[in-house]
This record gives sequence, C-alpha cells and structure tokens, in this order.
Amino acid sequence: MASLWTTQNLYEALSASELSLEGKIELNDGLEPNISVQLSEFGDLPVQITVSGAQLMVSSALWEASQVKDLARFNEAALKLNPVNALSNIGLITLAPGRDLYIMFGELSASSDLPHIIEEIRVLADNTIEAAEVFSDQLIPSPANTTGAAT
Amino acid sequence: MSLWRKIFTMFRARATEAGEAVVDANALRILDQEIRDASEALRKSRDDLTTMMAQRKLSFNKVQPKQNKIAEYSGFIEQLLDRGDEALAREVAQKLADLERETEADVQLLGQFDSNIEILKKSILQAEGTISRLKQQVDSVKATENVQRAQAALASQHSGTNTALRTATDSLERIKQKQLERAAKFDAAKELEHFGGDHDLQAKLATAGLLENSSSADSVLARFKTRASLSASTAPLRLDKPSANDR
Repeated sequence: MASLWTTQNLYEALSASELSLEGKIELNDGLEPNISVQLSEFGDLPVQITVSGAQLMVSSALWEASQVKDLARFNEAALKLNPVNALSNIGLITLAPGRDLYIMFGELSASSDLPHIIEEIRVLADNTIEAAEVFSDQLIPSPANTTGAAT
Repeated sequence: MSLWRKIFTMFRARATEAGEAVVDANALRILDQEIRDASEALRKSRDDLTTMMAQRKLSFNKVQPKQNKIAEYSGFIEQLLDRGDEALAREVAQKLADLERETEADVQLLGQFDSNIEILKKSILQAEGTISRLKQQVDSVKATENVQRAQAALASQHSGTNTALRTATDSLERIKQKQLERAAKFDAAKELEHFGGDHDLQAKLATAGLLENSSSADSVLARFKTRASLSASTAPLRLDKPSANDR
C-alpha cells in the first residue's frame, strides 16, 4: 500500500501544487493540526482538511442550525439530497452547547494521491456553494440574527 | 451492527444533557473497548492455532512409523505365506489388523485437526478484518473531532465580533458579488470600446471620407465629381486609389 499522508507533508504538497495559485492554503498547527484552503473561485470558502490515521477528511461549514428556518424540513431535504449528491455528505457537528453547525464533508483514504485530494477539495467547495444556493430560501436571511444565542 | 447501537445509545444519553459535543471521548472509549476485545479474540485464536498445528504435527509423526510398520508386516505375511507358515502369518496379521485400526483413527484425528485449523484460520482473518474496520472508525471519529475543533476555533474567532461564522452562505454572497462586479466591468469595457476605441476611429475615418458608406459632404461631392468624369472619360474609380493627394 502507498504511504499515508500526514497533515504536515500534505500541507507542503498542497502549497507546492497549482492550488496555491488559486487561493490561500494555511496550516493551523496544534495538537491535531489541520489545513485550511480558501479558493477565490469558491468565494474564499474555508475548506478544512484533516488527516487521522488512514483517513483524510475534507469539510466545510454550511451554516449554523440557528440560521435554518425550519429544521425538520431542512433535515429531510438534506437527507434526500445526500444519496443524489454522492461525492459529499451533509452532517451536523456541535461547536458548543446549543450551537450546532451543518457541514459538508467527504472522506478519502490517507494514501490517496495528490490530484485526487485536490479534486476532492474543489468538488467539496463546489458542492457547498451549490447547497448554499439551493437551500438559500430555507435560511434566515440576515446573518445578524444568528449571533451566538442559539435558543 | 451492535457498535452502531452503542454509539447511538450514547448519542441519546448525551442529547438529554445540555448539548455536550456529540462525538467525544465516549465514542472513542467504546471503539477502544471493541478493538481490545477483538484483538484479545484474535490473540486467543492465534494461540489456539499454534497449539492445534503442534498437535497435528505430533499425530502426523506418530502415523508415519505406523505406516512403515504396516508395510513391513505386509511383507512378512507374504513371505510367511509363501513358506507355508500359516500360524506365524496369522500372528503377524493380528498385529497388522491392530495397526490398521490405530492408523485409521489417527488419520481421522488428523482430518479433524485440519478442519479445525481451517476454521481457526478463517476466524483469524475475520478478526483481523474487524479490527481494521474498527480502527477505520476510530480514524473517522478522530477526524470528526478534529473538524469540530477546527470549526469551533473558527467560530470563537468570530464570537467577539458579533458576526456569525464564515459559512457557505457568505461565500455564495461573495461569489455573486464578484459575478456582479465582473459583469459590471464587462459592460464598462464594452462601453469603453464603443466610445473610446473602434467607434471613435470609424468616426474619424468616416469624416475623412475613407469609408464606402460614409456620407460626409466631401464624399458626396466626390461621388458627383467621379460620375461626371466617368461620363467624360474612363477615369479610374475613386476608391481604387484612396490617397490623400488624389482627393
């Protein structure tokens, strides 16, 4: 089997790739470092890349649960969209008590080659923007409504 | 899969507590326990396999000399019968019968060992598969945790400034804005081209009377002059020689 990426050497490879000409690539160092990619083509949407063992996860933030007008309706729509949109999944993570965030994510083997990873980053960013467009009528328009206080 | 049920049960329990992080150390603890159990089972299966293969070897070692003996006794019986010593031949035949019974049992035992060894090897493969699947799941949980942490860090950067986390909707807004800007720039460029560029030149050329369908006073006049001279002689057509002197 091919060798596995680490966050560090994936960051270096991405920085040396053509992707670095299309936006910003940053390494958020720490105990569990992650890579953040912002491509101008996709409105500087932050895409996070994390490597854990044999797995590589690419994800981006859709919106906070508090920004959704009707959660039940949105959840159903998201579940229905998921099988159709095979390459990326929609998930929900908790940022802080009472503060949930919808994310779009895709998983790859940590032994995937660089072109595949770059493709996944682009596809994920594209899908995220598409989702934002499709679901825009289900979201509360003004971002000012969404600050901190989720119920 | 029972693992799923465990994790879901944990989610439910967590959900009632005021919104702890959903994927947390508990999920990892469950997975950790599953991996421990599976590798314990794997270790035991491997031990069993070693023991069984050793036992099989021992039995096999016992069979070989017996089979040699059987061959030897068979030879004796043939020789004794040739000599007509029926009594001794019968004695040897008795021994041979015992030996044959014993080896038959031994061969059966060997067969049992072989099938048990097969079963053990299969279960070892299975346990190895389970463990690697569980480890993948650990990686998923860790990756999710990592994403959670990264997003929470992003969110906390924004918490002071009273703005929501930069998300897909913001980026979509940005893209639309950019497209509008691009469209506006495009329009502006087109207008510039229209007024400042080509159009300007065309106008100048027209004023200079160098365009076929331009109708400046000069060109109209020239047309009449040409017509007049054409009727008089066979002068060349004006536009064949569009030099300034020729006008």
